[in-house]
Amino acid sequence: VNRPFDLPEFSLPPINEVVLGIQFDQPIGYQQIRAGEVWNLFKVGFPKVSELLALQPTFETFGPNQILPFNFGVLANPSRNRYWFTTDDDYELIQFQGDRLLHNWRKLANHANEYPRFDTIIGKFTGEIRRFEQFCSELQPQKLIIRQCELSYINHIRVAPGQLRVGEWLKFISFGEQEPDDFAATFRRTTTCGDGQPRGRLICESATNLDLSGEAFIALTLTVRGIPERPETDSALEFITRGREMIVRTFADITTESAHKAWGRTQ
Amino acid sequence: MTRNGMESLAGTSSVLTQPVVHLTPPRARILIADRPDGWRQPIKERLDYLCQLSLGWDGYRARPVSFSTAHFALRLLESVCDSTTPAPSIVPGPSGDLQIEWHLKSGDIELHVRAPNDVHAWRETLSTGENGEELRLTIDFTLVARWVRNLSDPQRATVEAAA
Repeated sequence: VNRPFDLPEFSLPPINEVVLGIQFDQPIGYQQIRAGEVWNLFKVGFPKVSELLALQPTFETFGPNQILPFNFGVLANPSRNRYWFTTDDDYELIQFQGDRLLHNWRKLANHANEYPRFDTIIGKFTGEIRRFEQFCSELQPQKLIIRQCELSYINHIRVAPGQLRVGEWLKFISFGEQEPDDFAATFRRTTTCGDGQPRGRLICESATNLDLSGEAFIALTLTVRGIPERPETDSALEFITRGREMIVRTFADITTESAHKAWGRTQ
Repeated sequence: MTRNGMESLAGTSSVLTQPVVHLTPPRARILIADRPDGWRQPIKERLDYLCQLSLGWDGYRARPVSFSTAHFALRLLESVCDSTTPAPSIVPGPSGDLQIEWHLKSGDIELHVRAPNDVHAWRETLSTGENGEELRLTIDFTLVARWVRNLSDPQRATVEAAA
């Protein structure tokens, strides 16, 4: 992946997790009983498996009545499962269900593992989609029909205990003299394609959170979600790559210069 | 990492964290409300029903409405309808698809949701003539919202058009 020359770069970004994902029509001939065959595609690198509830489909639509969608009372989910195929060191996992494939990289509690950078992660994800697509075409000649793609960067902004001042890190929040006990703020922005038509959304969620030792930090999640230009793999990967640029530029825009210094901004 | 009752694992994230939790006084109530739109509940019930149709429900080889298409249809309606919009009819198609329809005195609108991001929209009113007007749409339903408003409240639409 060619990195745009003017894309902001940080030597110590506060990234805690990165998630790349696609949502597609359930391939013809796939049934949940075949999940083990899908695990076999990835088992060498991802030998651990666990089972979770399926993710609901997610779509970004546009019209005059836009509100943040509530997730209460969504449609009754047919009983399907999601599987996590996890690496031995737990740093990476593939999430799979009949209509989703995702790849997560994450920092673990000791924070020893270094962020391997976007190019490495999308390289792995590309290989995983191709392998899954090959598997589907062996069920019946077909290509994946990809309806939605997404990329999330989940940042954990940590400071010394008792020193959390949100305005020192996030440009769009200022609480003045007295810091609140906690906060939560979300904004969404439409992303468009060349002809100005909506293609998806950038969603920014920020909130006070606690780590497992009870220490407060700022969780700043940036997600780009939308439809690829064509419902196929190459187009989906292009969408995710463009999404990465949007996220990195937005991250640099909404965080303060002093924060950039702390994270070693090099560009 | 250890797990405890306060940890959350939302959406596609795989990392456990704890939301900041407040202790609420005993009499405090948390109200969780869905949108108050009149069309919403009957439509959700109808979509749930259509997703559970059995294979061959039409006496031939029709499939139930796809769960993903039903979800997309609900998001579409959320973008298009406000609290005064009359509830449309939802008709299943044979291939997991569905049709959203309004048939009112002032005209007809039909939205054929073939799959997520693949919608054929058609309307017929006095102004469009017999053949009506059609559109291919993906995720932007701004024009359809205007159609629906014109159909369900033609008086307001005329005032808005004149303004």
